[in-house]
Amino acid sequence: MIAARSESIGTRLSDMLWRRPAVLLVLLLLPPVLWLGIIYLGSLFALLLQSFFSIDHFTGLINYRFTLSTYAELFTPANFDIILRTVTMAACCTLASAVIAFPIAYYAARYARGKWRAVFYLGIMMPLWSSYLVKIYAWKLILAKEGILTWALEGLRLNWLLEAYLSLPVVGGNSLSVSTTGTFIVFVYVWMPFMILPIQAALERVPGSMLEASGDLGARPAQTFRHVLFPLALPGIVAGSIFTFSLTLGDYIIPQIIGTSRLFIGQAVYQHQGIAGNIPLAAAFAVVPIVIMGLYLWGAKRMGAFDAL
Amino acid sequence: MSAVTFDKVSRHFGAVRAVDGVDLDIAEGEFFAMLGPSGSGKTTCLRLIAGFERPTAGDIRIFGEPVADLPPYKRQVNTVFQDYALFPHLNVIDNVAYGLMIAGQGRKPRHKAADEALEMVRLGGYGARRPSELSGGQRQRVALARALVNKPRVLLLDEPLGALDLKLREQMQEELKTLQRQLGITFVFVTHDQGEALSMADRVAVFNEGRIIQVGAPEDIYFRPEVPFVADFVGSSNVLPAALVARLTGENCPAAIRPERLQLAEDGPVMARVTGLSFLGLTTRVSFEAEGTRLTALLPQDAPRPAQGDLVALTWAEGDLHLMRAGL
Amino acid sequence: MKNTFITAVVSAITAASVATSALAQMTEIGEGEGQLSIVAWAGYVERGETDKAFDWVTGFEEATGCMVSVKTANTSDEMVALMNEGGFDLVTASGDASLRMIAGKRVQPINIDLVPSWSSVDDRLKDAPWHTVDGVHYGVPYMWGPNVLMYNTEAFAEAPTSWNVVFEETTLSDGESNAGRVQAYDGPIHIADAANYLMFHQPELGIEDPYELNADQYAAALDLLRGQRELVSRYWHDAFIQIDDFKNEGMVASGSWPFQVNLLQADNVPVASVIPQEGATGWADTTMLHVDSENPNCAYMWFEHQLSSNLQSDLSVWFGAVPSVPAACTDGRGMQTQEGCDANGLAQFDKIKFWKTPVANCESQDECVPYYRWVSDYIGVIGGR
Repeated sequence: MIAARSESIGTRLSDMLWRRPAVLLVLLLLPPVLWLGIIYLGSLFALLLQSFFSIDHFTGLINYRFTLSTYAELFTPANFDIILRTVTMAACCTLASAVIAFPIAYYAARYARGKWRAVFYLGIMMPLWSSYLVKIYAWKLILAKEGILTWALEGLRLNWLLEAYLSLPVVGGNSLSVSTTGTFIVFVYVWMPFMILPIQAALERVPGSMLEASGDLGARPAQTFRHVLFPLALPGIVAGSIFTFSLTLGDYIIPQIIGTSRLFIGQAVYQHQGIAGNIPLAAAFAVVPIVIMGLYLWGAKRMGAFDAL
Repeated sequence: MSAVTFDKVSRHFGAVRAVDGVDLDIAEGEFFAMLGPSGSGKTTCLRLIAGFERPTAGDIRIFGEPVADLPPYKRQVNTVFQDYALFPHLNVIDNVAYGLMIAGQGRKPRHKAADEALEMVRLGGYGARRPSELSGGQRQRVALARALVNKPRVLLLDEPLGALDLKLREQMQEELKTLQRQLGITFVFVTHDQGEALSMADRVAVFNEGRIIQVGAPEDIYFRPEVPFVADFVGSSNVLPAALVARLTGENCPAAIRPERLQLAEDGPVMARVTGLSFLGLTTRVSFEAEGTRLTALLPQDAPRPAQGDLVALTWAEGDLHLMRAGL
Repeated sequence: MKNTFITAVVSAITAASVATSALAQMTEIGEGEGQLSIVAWAGYVERGETDKAFDWVTGFEEATGCMVSVKTANTSDEMVALMNEGGFDLVTASGDASLRMIAGKRVQPINIDLVPSWSSVDDRLKDAPWHTVDGVHYGVPYMWGPNVLMYNTEAFAEAPTSWNVVFEETTLSDGESNAGRVQAYDGPIHIADAANYLMFHQPELGIEDPYELNADQYAAALDLLRGQRELVSRYWHDAFIQIDDFKNEGMVASGSWPFQVNLLQADNVPVASVIPQEGATGWADTTMLHVDSENPNCAYMWFEHQLSSNLQSDLSVWFGAVPSVPAACTDGRGMQTQEGCDANGLAQFDKIKFWKTPVANCESQDECVPYYRWVSDYIGVIGGR
């Protein structure tokens, strides 16, 4: 006789879930799907909706009628400058991050073993543990006119080099901390881990024999890089660049503290939404990075960035 | 002319002597196998030829030219890797044409050459596929075509059949052999499978602990092992210790005898107790213990079979007992 | 970014659900509701937590039972946005925000008869146009102050007499150019500073009020600001970043608040401040009551408290501002003294053009450039347009 009736509810529940695994799956997935669907996508949709409204410029109250005028405002010279400036900065930061991150990631993936591997991860991750603001203020002190960098260069009698650089148009300025270059340096620093880790993960999946095979078939190291290593690391680079690119597009803290006071998209969103209460224009600005990232991913896919996945 | 020569070549990794004073001479056009258990140094020797490793000491020559300072991409050798190392982002034809592309050949001629190479390994028409869409055996052939299309003077094969199932492996053994005869290129083949080495190679070098123990034709290695290690590893021969051999023959050295040559008899020079029996189809394998030595015999199916625990006499024909050097 | 999305959504939903309420004013003060929430400038509502000596909240809470909560805002635009969202009782609005909230019907009229100390308010502020519309009062004056010219005493042998040191390139008395060494305020209202400067130096433009500019006057102000862009490395909007810039970035002159001047002087940085010959813009803040306030009784109690307690005196010391109740300078209710009030600009009242929102339908001329243009054009000027 099977003692089914004397089993506890918990056991019977377990049995039922074992017999019907789909029920378990639904139970497990429901909360995250609801979260993603309602809170996340819902808010995104609400944002999109806002961008089709307009604002009464005097009272600051929103006019809930469908209009494209808010989008048209994005193309006024001042606003378009903001978009252009942000995208250029994001592209430069992404490029520089990739160039700097690649050798670091390559070393970590190919050579670092045991203790050095731990040191590497610690070194990459540690900046992520400290507060973002603390890091930026620290950079402000490093780059300031009377800051650490100037002081160090004076000690090396190299400050003429810095002066010469700062006298250049566009990238220069009164000091690094108030120049576009300063903004660029801090962006590259802050997003660097997000570039190194995906590249490292991609490189780790490339077996050593693949590189040996290329050399064996006559390729010099530079050719091996171009024809084998780079294409195989490309998904990692693209993944990393999605981080650095979109984070730069959205950031509003760094350019506020370091740089020339010229606005970036993130700041424009912040100012129009939080300060000016112009939610429609803020929403329209917030849609810009989404569109740009969409185009970017589409382009990356067309270029075959994901072929080695 | 020698294709590859090693003169007292060593390769040490810290305290580990992966290759330790190896002398080697591979003739042009030869199918040469390097056989040994894992960690015996055979793969490192192959990598020394390819240029992926540099010798700690000694001199390596390829067709008489010293290659110590020659990087892999300047050597006229090509390798078929154990994991094939096909480039996943390129399709089959571009994988095969890779070496020609690097050499600066135009798209058309190199694709034509690659097509021919694929034809040769019976993969014509597979050019547009991705490596991930191929079976293990097909990948193996692509790797082969990719190496051969460059017309290397020496082809290195690192356990190329290791990942294939038995049937495919036997088929590929035949094909490789045929291919080698056809092309006349020197093949250097690394394997831990003694059957593979013996069936394919013109000559076999047996490796153990970084050294070459014996080099010779398959028959020599199989029937005339010079040391107990070769007898045991290559032929699964019974190795009789020197003391026992001294009592039997008066010679103070170890000796080998093949399991299929041991016979049961009413009376014989060695008394042994049966410790195990296993049915193998055509034969039955019987394990014995005799004077502290473990012996194995393969008895034909029609021979009388002893029972577990029986004490039996073992005998053999004169000449089946093969005397060896002491040592490994 | 996600935060921004969510805030945007939440504020949108709230804004949509706010019902329009009748603009009726209170006729009597009842029992306190036990709580009061205030949107205020940083440092405006202190309860002794930053510095024990500065506390004008604890006494109010003990006397009325109204527990005060504060939401700090950094700019006038942010205050307007917060009041549009709703959920707050009071706001310490500057003149560039107050009229917008009145026009947007986010604040209610004040019955000054219910505020016994109203009579002690500076006569010049009682009917000030930034909180009085058609004779109706929409707030109770809180505090005022000038936007002073802060300068480094090592770079300037004598106090500068004109704002030209931040508007036009010139060689300072330390022998170096001012380029890259001056700052300007990172807010559209700074256009009024430029207009104020032009009002003095280019009378032919006919500017009467720096907040009421016709197209030509406005264009001239923007041109001046474009020239200023060449001199300014970084615009300031966070007082503490400006303080850091005067310490580490070699800044020597900028429009500023007495607040920064006091803090820098306390840190032994060689700075001083002055109101130059052109006069200055300034801010006059008014406490205003939200139209849907749930705690109006506590709010009226606060109105009285802000005029009659130590608040006026101590806050003016704390913030480097001038009390709206002149007696607070001298009657010993707090730490302020006549000298302190004078230093903070009490005597300069007539030289100060208080912040107010630029509107198209202005008083001094037919049509003026409205505020929304100021916002987008100032972003353009900073961006190099």
